[in-house]
Amino acid sequence: MNLVCKSLAGFVLLAHLPGLAGAKPIAFSHGTTVMAEYGAGTMKEAQVFYAPKYFLSLGPGYLELESDIDHRRREITYARVNYLAKRWNMEAAQANVFVWGGAGQAYVSETNDHQFTGNAGAQIDYETRRVYSSLKTDLYRSADFSHRIDTLQLGLAPYKHDYDTLATWVVVQARRFTGEIHEGTEWALLLRLFKRGGWIEAGVTDDGKLQAMAMVNF
Amino acid sequence: MKKLLLAGLLAALSATAAADTIEMKVYGLVCGFCAQGIEKTLRKNPATEDVVVSLEDKLVAIATHPGQDISDAELTQALTDAGYDVKGIARTQRSMTDIRAALKKDTK
Repeated sequence: MNLVCKSLAGFVLLAHLPGLAGAKPIAFSHGTTVMAEYGAGTMKEAQVFYAPKYFLSLGPGYLELESDIDHRRREITYARVNYLAKRWNMEAAQANVFVWGGAGQAYVSETNDHQFTGNAGAQIDYETRRVYSSLKTDLYRSADFSHRIDTLQLGLAPYKHDYDTLATWVVVQARRFTGEIHEGTEWALLLRLFKRGGWIEAGVTDDGKLQAMAMVNF
Repeated sequence: MKKLLLAGLLAALSATAAADTIEMKVYGLVCGFCAQGIEKTLRKNPATEDVVVSLEDKLVAIATHPGQDISDAELTQALTDAGYDVKGIARTQRSMTDIRAALKKDTK
């Protein structure tokens, strides 16, 4: 199946699923979220967000992008504010719309300098205890570059977890980078495990590279 | 007569203990990773003795210390602050042990 067909299939599936969800930028009121993500060959990211309210969180982040086309690199440090624009709590499902904005600076490898960088993004998600999906878009822009990272995740749980039991998800991820970081859509198959405040996931991309993420809420 | 008095005393104690359990029906409980905010928030309340969360039953149960209570308004605020919607609050006669046992039975 070519990449265009895969992308279309993903979005059609998304449209027909009862939900989408992802790692959320806001955990709960007075909660702190620490997240680190590793995408071999393309991106590395780390974030620490504190939520004074259930609908608001803020904190610093770091994003490293490396082009697997020409090896240009950006190292972006930023401060960001996340806002839960809308939440739907249903009897057996939850859906959210998050938006965020931030600013920072980026090291740009080809000019060997640091530039002011703006960040904006959004995420919609919906999840039940068996089906999970999220669509996220994250834009970083400076005088010399503009990179948008769009990530679609669709997950299925083989069983319904409960509060005290381990949650297991099999997640298919499709990610597109603009600004010549990666050609086409990067696909990944991930195994996600979480229990209480701890979350780990790992998998492999269609290029055979490691994709991993760890997150803690406390 | 002594037996009657003892039975009456036990019944009174039992009723007092039963009033210390609060059960809430909560919508949006789909993820244990996210629901921990509920437990964290409720355990901060000095009246809270124990908390049970069940995603399967959409249930948040709280045992309060004897003679103490948490108002419906406080409970609703706590759950709202955690990002969830409270659909019902009831003072029940189930102990936390009974609730845990029932939940365990449900999952088998």
